[in-house]
Amino acid sequence: MRIPRMRFPTFGPTLYGLALVMVVLGVATPFLPIIVKVQLINFLLFVGLAYALNFMTGLTGYVSFGHAIFMGIGAYALGGGIDRLGFPPLLGVILGAGLGAAFAVGIGLVTLRFRGVYFAITTLVLFLAAKNIVPEISQLGGGVGIFMNLGFQPLAEFYTIWTIVVLEIGLTYWVTHGRLGYGLRAIKSDEDAAKTVGVNASRLKLTVFGISGMFAGATGAVYAWTLSAVLPDTGFDITYSLRMLAMIIIGGAGTLLGPFLGAIIVYVPYNYFQTVQSLLGLQLAVIGALVLLIALFIPTGIVGTIRRHVPILRRYIE
Amino acid sequence: MADLGLVVADLVVGLMLGCVFAVIAHGLNVIWGVTKVVNVAHGEFIMLGAYGAYYLNVYLGFNPVLSVPVDAAIGIGVGFLFYFGLLHRELRGKEAITRESEMVTLVATFGLSLVISNAALAIFKGDAVGIRWAPETLDLGPFDVALGGLYVAISSVAIIAISDLFLSRTYLGNAIRAYSQDIGAAQLMGINPARIAAIATAIGFALTMAGGALLTVWLPVGITPLIGATYAPISFVIVVLGGPGKMWGSLLGGLTLGILIDVLPAFGISASIAVAVAFLVLIPVLLFAREGILR
Repeated sequence: MRIPRMRFPTFGPTLYGLALVMVVLGVATPFLPIIVKVQLINFLLFVGLAYALNFMTGLTGYVSFGHAIFMGIGAYALGGGIDRLGFPPLLGVILGAGLGAAFAVGIGLVTLRFRGVYFAITTLVLFLAAKNIVPEISQLGGGVGIFMNLGFQPLAEFYTIWTIVVLEIGLTYWVTHGRLGYGLRAIKSDEDAAKTVGVNASRLKLTVFGISGMFAGATGAVYAWTLSAVLPDTGFDITYSLRMLAMIIIGGAGTLLGPFLGAIIVYVPYNYFQTVQSLLGLQLAVIGALVLLIALFIPTGIVGTIRRHVPILRRYIE
Repeated sequence: MADLGLVVADLVVGLMLGCVFAVIAHGLNVIWGVTKVVNVAHGEFIMLGAYGAYYLNVYLGFNPVLSVPVDAAIGIGVGFLFYFGLLHRELRGKEAITRESEMVTLVATFGLSLVISNAALAIFKGDAVGIRWAPETLDLGPFDVALGGLYVAISSVAIIAISDLFLSRTYLGNAIRAYSQDIGAAQLMGINPARIAAIATAIGFALTMAGGALLTVWLPVGITPLIGATYAPISFVIVVLGGPGKMWGSLLGGLTLGILIDVLPAFGISASIAVAVAFLVLIPVLLFAREGILR
C-alpha cells in the first residue's frame, strides 16, 4: 500500500518564523558593522552544522560522534580546489558539498549496518583515522596544511552560509513533512518493526546520511574559507563534532526549530567566553553539563519537551 | 624487508603496550558487558586515575604500580557515585536495557566527559606532567627491555586474570554474570539487580582508574587533562574487538592494537598511519565477527 502524502495547506508558524529571521538577517547584514558580520557568519556556521547533523542523528536516532569528518572533507575540498585547481571559493564550497555527500554515502554503505552504540563508536573511529591519515598525504599539504590567501570576504562568506542554512531549513521541513518523514520516524522508534511494515530502512538512512554529509561538507568548506586556510587541526576538529551533537540535543533532536535554538545556546557562551580570560576553558564544560542534564531529565530537548507538556504550543512549535 | 631484530624489539614493546591498553579498556569492558551501558566518559576516568597516581607520587612518593590499589579504592567510590547518580534512573526496574536508555546513557556520559575533561583543564592546567620512575632495564642481548613496562604488563595480566577468576569462581561474580545474561531470571534467583549493577559499575571504575595509574609508566612526560580523548577510542575498539563482557577479550584486543601500533612502523609505515590502521580494524570485526573475535 502506498502511504498517502500528508497534506499541508499552510507551512506552519515555525517555518514562517525561521524564514522571517533568515530574511531579516539576509537583508540587514550588509548594513551592519564588520564585527557583527563576522559574528553572524560564525553563528550561521554553527546553525549550518546543527541542521546538518540533525538530518542524521535527529531524524534517525543514530548518534554520530565523528561528523566533523565531513567538515574536514569539505574544508580540504575547498583548499584543494582553490590551491590545485584554481577554483573560485564558491565552486570550492560546492565541491565540498559534493565530496561530503559522496564520502557520506560511501561510509554509510558500510557503517549504517551497525546500530546504536556500535554506529557511534564507528563514526568516532573513522574520524580519528581520517585525522591521522590526512596529514600524511603530501598532496593535501601534509602536516602543514593549505594556505589560500583569499583575503577577507565577509559578504560572500555570509551569503554562502546563509544560502546553506536556508536550504537546510527548507529541506528539513520537506523531509519531516513528507513520505520520507514517516519512514524515518518509524526507523527512529523501532527499526525492525519499520522494516517489517515495508520501510526500506537502509535506503532511507543512506539518503539522510548523504544529505547530512553534504551539508556538513559545505559548512566545513565555508569554515575553512573564513579561516582562509585548511590546517589538519582546524580541518578535523573533534570539538566541532561534540558541539554539533550538543546543539541538537539541547534544542531538540529531529525538530525543525531545535537545531536553531541549540545553535544559539551553544554559540553565545562560545563567543562570550572567548573574550573573558578566566572562562576560556569552561565553555565546553558548561555545554557538557547542559547536555548531561538534558539527556537525563528531558531527553527530547527543549522543543520536544515544550511540545510534550504544553499542548497549546504544539501547533506553533515543531 | 625489515630488520628482524628491530621487528622483534618492536614486538616486545608492542606486547607490553598492548597489556597496558588491555588494562585501561578492562573497566569499560566490565561495565559494558554487565550493564550494557557504554561509558563515553571512560577516557576521562583513565585521566583521573593517571592524575591520582601522579599526585600520590608527588606527595607520598608512590610509584605507579604501588598507587594501583589506592586508585582502585577511589574508583570504587567514584563507580558507586556514577551508578546512583547517572545509571540507576535508567536501569532501575528494567529487565533489559532499551535502545532508548542506551542512547540516553550514551549522550549523558558524553556530556559528562565534556564536563570532566574541561573542568580538569581548568584545575590541573594544560601543562603535561609525568612521574619519574625508571627502574633498570633488562639486557636481552640484541635489545633491552624496560623493567617498568614489564612490571606494568605483568600487573595488567594479573588484574585481568584476577577479574576472570572473580567472575567465574565467587558467588558475587556468578551473580554479576547471571545479571549480565538475564536480569529477569537473576531476580527470580534472589539477586538484587540494582545492587549487582552498582557493584559491577564500581568494579569497572576501580579497574579503569587502576588502569590510568599503570598507564602513567608509558607517559613519562605526557599526563594532560586531554589524554582521555586519546585513550577512550582505543578502549572502545579494544572492547569491541574482544567482545563486551569477555574478560580475556580485553587482553586480546589490547595486544592486537599494541602490536599493530608498534610493529607496523618497523615495516616503513608511518606511526600515525599505523594508529589509523589499528583503529580501522574495528570495521571488519564489526562486519564479520559481531560478537568479538573471542568465541
